[in-house]
Amino acid sequence: MSLTMDAKIATPTTHAGHTQSKFHTFVQIAMVLSVITGVEIVIIYLPIGKWLVVSSLVVLSTVKFLLVIFYFMHLKWDKVFCTILFFIGLVLALGTVAALLALFGAEASAPLTSQILHHSAPVIV
Amino acid sequence: MSHAATIDHHHDVTTSTGIPNKKLFMWAFLASDCMFFGALISTHLIYRLHPPPGSPDVSKIFSIELTSFSTFILLMSSLLMALAVNSLQKGHVRSTRHNLLGTIFFGLIFLGCQVYEFNHFVHEKGLTLSNSIFGSTFYTLTGTHGCHVAIGVLWLVLMYIRSFKPADPSRSWLARAIAHFVVFTITTVAGTAAVLGLVHTIQSHESLSVFIDHHLLATSTTVIGLALLTWFGFSRKPVDFGEANAIDVESMGLYWHFVDIVWIVIFTVVYLLEYL
Amino acid sequence: MDTIAPASLPTHEAPAAEKRPWIFTRPTAKTGLISWLTTVDHKRVGLMYGFSALFFFLVGGFEALLIRIQLAVPNNTFLQHQTYNELFTMHATTMIFLAVMPLSAAFFNYIMPLQIGARDVAFPRLNGFAFWVFLAGAIILNVGWFIKAGSPDIGWFGYAPLTSKAYSSQFAGDISTDLWVMGLQILGVSSVVGSLNFIVTIINLRAPGMTMMRLPVFTWMTLITAFLIILSFPAITIALVELMMDRNFDTGFFEISKGGLPILWQHLFWVFGHPEVYILILPAMGIISEILPTFSRKPLFGYPIVVFSGACIGFLGFGVWSHHMFTTGMGAVATAAFSLATMAIAVPTGVKIFNWIGTLWGGHLKMTTPMMFALGFIWMFMMGGFSGVMHAAAPADAQQQDSYFVVAHFHYVLIGGSVFALLAGIHYWFPLIFGRTVSEFWGKLSFWVIFVGFNTTFFPMHFLGLNGMPRRTAVYDGNMGWNSPNFIATIGAFILGIGIAIYFVTMVYTLFKGPKAARDPWDGRTLEWALPNPPPEYNFAVTPSVHARDAFWYEKHHRDEIAREKIQHARSESEHGGIHMPSQSWFPLLTAIGMLVGSLFLANHNYLGAISGGGLTILGAYLWSPKAQAATTCTPNLTPTAKTPTPSTELPLIFLFPLSLYLSPSSSPPIPPTPTPSIGIKTKD
Repeated sequence: MSLTMDAKIATPTTHAGHTQSKFHTFVQIAMVLSVITGVEIVIIYLPIGKWLVVSSLVVLSTVKFLLVIFYFMHLKWDKVFCTILFFIGLVLALGTVAALLALFGAEASAPLTSQILHHSAPVIV
Repeated sequence: MSHAATIDHHHDVTTSTGIPNKKLFMWAFLASDCMFFGALISTHLIYRLHPPPGSPDVSKIFSIELTSFSTFILLMSSLLMALAVNSLQKGHVRSTRHNLLGTIFFGLIFLGCQVYEFNHFVHEKGLTLSNSIFGSTFYTLTGTHGCHVAIGVLWLVLMYIRSFKPADPSRSWLARAIAHFVVFTITTVAGTAAVLGLVHTIQSHESLSVFIDHHLLATSTTVIGLALLTWFGFSRKPVDFGEANAIDVESMGLYWHFVDIVWIVIFTVVYLLEYL
Repeated sequence: MDTIAPASLPTHEAPAAEKRPWIFTRPTAKTGLISWLTTVDHKRVGLMYGFSALFFFLVGGFEALLIRIQLAVPNNTFLQHQTYNELFTMHATTMIFLAVMPLSAAFFNYIMPLQIGARDVAFPRLNGFAFWVFLAGAIILNVGWFIKAGSPDIGWFGYAPLTSKAYSSQFAGDISTDLWVMGLQILGVSSVVGSLNFIVTIINLRAPGMTMMRLPVFTWMTLITAFLIILSFPAITIALVELMMDRNFDTGFFEISKGGLPILWQHLFWVFGHPEVYILILPAMGIISEILPTFSRKPLFGYPIVVFSGACIGFLGFGVWSHHMFTTGMGAVATAAFSLATMAIAVPTGVKIFNWIGTLWGGHLKMTTPMMFALGFIWMFMMGGFSGVMHAAAPADAQQQDSYFVVAHFHYVLIGGSVFALLAGIHYWFPLIFGRTVSEFWGKLSFWVIFVGFNTTFFPMHFLGLNGMPRRTAVYDGNMGWNSPNFIATIGAFILGIGIAIYFVTMVYTLFKGPKAARDPWDGRTLEWALPNPPPEYNFAVTPSVHARDAFWYEKHHRDEIAREKIQHARSESEHGGIHMPSQSWFPLLTAIGMLVGSLFLANHNYLGAISGGGLTILGAYLWSPKAQAATTCTPNLTPTAKTPTPSTELPLIFLFPLSLYLSPSSSPPIPPTPTPSIGIKTKD
């Protein structure tokens, strides 16, 4: 086990340059993440096509997602197997979500109540 | 025994793949948790596809300012968590502790925002767990995420306290660790109460003496608690916590970042899409 | 979290006796009740899984016999309808979650680390925890038999709205459904935790030279099953959480009156439920893939294809769940897509069958009992597979849905498949685990009686189903033309019961009185047979090096090379501190008890109690975590003839808890750390 003196922690290590660069990477990524979040909030109020907003949101969220897992969670520097392992779960989850939404989005699956709503009242989405 | 930066944190020679066991465990668990939140988010979206008659107008309930703020807070806590891991991999115990405390603080703010949000929705907007299907799915989804954050905060606090374990095995540390934890909990609760009281006082334009009158207990407990925590944190003895523990902090960090990316997804599909 | 990482935290000298608060005093008993309650040894955990699973297998079988008695004649009044509902619910739940899955887990625990040349699993205490949590879940599910509320009666699938309060509460305080919810939830925790452990173990703790494509097929199937478990259980966890919210907190997930969609339960359930059937069959396929080559005296035919087919089945298994729901009306596109995907699964399954036949082809077949069960598996599993493909065609399925045809189908794949393979596995590894030889005569007799009884019970059900007899009904009229097949099936069930009784009596007799088995009695190919029987606590005195797919076979044919290598390895291991085994701990048990208490209170809607149980769980987990680094010492005994303490004499005592307190020998001090002179394996803390 490692016995580390508190007192000596302040001593700069030989890897100081590497430390600095990783520190800066992390801070820069955090700034990018905040900016993207800001853009996402602005984008929903822009008077542009709904499809464009939705696709931009999907792209921006995906970028945030990937930045966090590859940098903050070190996938970029780790063995590729970690990435594979996580993506097995991620891809299956995405596939399941997509399949469920497709199943429930199909006309055959629409519950009676919302069909009534659909035909009798103006659609509120 | 080990001085700074002697451990290769990306290759563990004792395992077949070079990936530390704990890291592999965590990644497998997160793969599993993807399915967990996948099922939960699907449920929410399916019920948004088919809202029953009489569903509330969601965009009038949400407060985009509050949610954006808590999103920002959670992203920043992720940054501090990454920095904590980075520090410990270099053997910098004190800087690790500071970053852990920052992560805990931001995690608590996020939880506080969520409690405020739930409270606000229930009492001001009339959205409860059982009065509409939207309430059921919304509270269950974000509440489950909140539980994940709370578990993460608990883990962080325990890790922070763990970082004071003395290197000298003959020193008793269990009682001290428990006392540390209890003080931490009490200070958190009292501090929250005091801050909420202060906010209330300012909002209702009352004088400081009114605040002290009403919140003397909470304020004094907070002050004493903070003093005690500083005392607990004032350790010059060698500790049994260092670079070799980086893998423990990193596994915890993976969990914390995962909670963050789940929130990234929730923020987009649960909150932002409602404004379209 | 704990881990065995022998060299990751190198202590260069044994630390002076660490001052530990009494609560952290390490249990060191090697025998007796305490040694079992605190064990972290994967072999002991495996045995506890095995014995609990076999106990519940008998319970589930008893429930099945009651069901068959009720159905023997039309309009029978042997059981009340309510009791019948409880019986078919608990029969299925017991057999799936408390018998077949834990029996597979028993083999995962016991055999898999031996096959990859590891000394234990990656997280030994988590492994013990997984078992105790399993036992907690089993208790919660079965506690209903002893209380007024009765047992769960909603079917193992728990379809909404049967589970809603309106339908499943006969009276105020009927908590049978809540017990089912909490029981499954807890079992899910156990399965996921156990599987994460197996994944890390297989990927990270392989002996040098044991590449992924040299892993024994059973280990491969363990890995794939573990992945299926961690990826499918979250779906039912969520479904159960939503159901719990509906029942405890008045949400509306599955309440139609609140805008809920009961069909969503079916989807979430089968997103879990279909991978679950592969969780039940893939370990069985792994066992078969071990037994057939051993008794054909040939390597497995097409090893990479068998492995790939297994992975393929696992992956496709996530994309076919809606074939359980063809009759719910999902629309033509979805129905066609799920129908095609389901038929596609028949391809890798068929590939496996052909590979097994290829293994047998031209082999020197030794017709031992495990081989008989394995051959029975192939045939019976194929029969079940054929009726499975019939269900895959959506129009045909509309006729078969919820009829006895389906009952026949899944009993062919579950008994003819999983159970045959597991019984084969018990027979196959019995000499290794207990060091005793099972009588071939009684083993074969039990096989034939089981085989005849099984087919007599379930083959007539195909006709019953096609003639329209529905599942899950307690009575039928005498004029439907279902009388004789039902009567035959009941007779068959009793023959099957007698066969199982012969099997178990033989096993129990052999456990105590059977002749001692020689080392490597089957002339095996995989590493577990390199060990003395029963294997010592540390498994391998020297970590083996693997040079070929059938590792032990290679060792047997390159004795000089291996002997030289072993001496080298022993030297380098002793330089690195010798064998390092994890120490026993009370905390996995304490944490599991916390979960048991919390869940029982939650099922009773007593939230204060539930929170206290949760607190106990957290306390257990917290006390568990402080120190994983200290470990007990182990002195390997390198002479193969030396007597190692055998678990067989005291093992059954664990299941007679109160009695064992008096009977088991008092705990002995730990083995003193005396280095073995010739090899010089040093022990360390």
